[in-house]
Amino acid sequence: MSRSKLYTIVLVACCAGWLYIGFQFPLNQEGQQHDVTLCVIKQVTNVPCPSCGTTRSVIAMIKGDFASSFQWNPLGWLVGTMMFIIPIWITFDLIFKKGSFMYTYQTTENWFKSKWVAGPAIALVLANWAWNISKGL
Amino acid sequence: MDAQKVDLFIMTNAKFFEAHHLGWIREQLIQLDDAQWPTVQMQQYKDPTTLLIVSLLGGSLGIDRFMLGDTGLGIGKLLTCGGLGIWAIIDWFMIMPATREKNMAAFQNLLA
Repeated sequence: MSRSKLYTIVLVACCAGWLYIGFQFPLNQEGQQHDVTLCVIKQVTNVPCPSCGTTRSVIAMIKGDFASSFQWNPLGWLVGTMMFIIPIWITFDLIFKKGSFMYTYQTTENWFKSKWVAGPAIALVLANWAWNISKGL
Repeated sequence: MDAQKVDLFIMTNAKFFEAHHLGWIREQLIQLDDAQWPTVQMQQYKDPTTLLIVSLLGGSLGIDRFMLGDTGLGIGKLLTCGGLGIWAIIDWFMIMPATREKNMAAFQNLLA
């Protein structure tokens, strides 16, 4: 994949993420329960998917409530941090005409292809999924 | 290489590549040395139709991207529930061309 294609995909994904957070934020005020979800799996099967609760988790994180953020979905910590860091990183890369993000992406991708990393990662995602289902998100 | 062999290869493997790449593939194979024929035949290509089925069923978990070898994008789709469901829908249409591109890259690697 070329550098410009990767940067475009990631930037568009981050922008869409922030827009969605901006749309969901007012709906997630104290004591309010909302029913807006885009998750296909949850709509069809009524069972939460591995990443259900990430939006609520990121919103809790923005409010500074890291404990309940973890309770909603630990993946929210990862997604929230990524959404915050990656646009800054890519802007830095574009200004100074470097490829440090591209390099890190490829290194991480290769790292995840080894079974010693992929195995535990899959196990963690499955465990988190089981927790999501038991929480009834 | 023998034109008949090449045409047989093109006929059996046409579905793995973009139609506009086939002419170029044929030219390259005809220029290829006979000794490299077994390596060309051994190369496994991914079937775009299989990937489409996987994308329809497991697209929002990113399984299609993992299968294609785009581990990074796969993780991205998995963590965001198929990119809020939108990326998953886009990939229903993008996964077949993407598979053919991957096959083309694999074929080019073979020649290099």
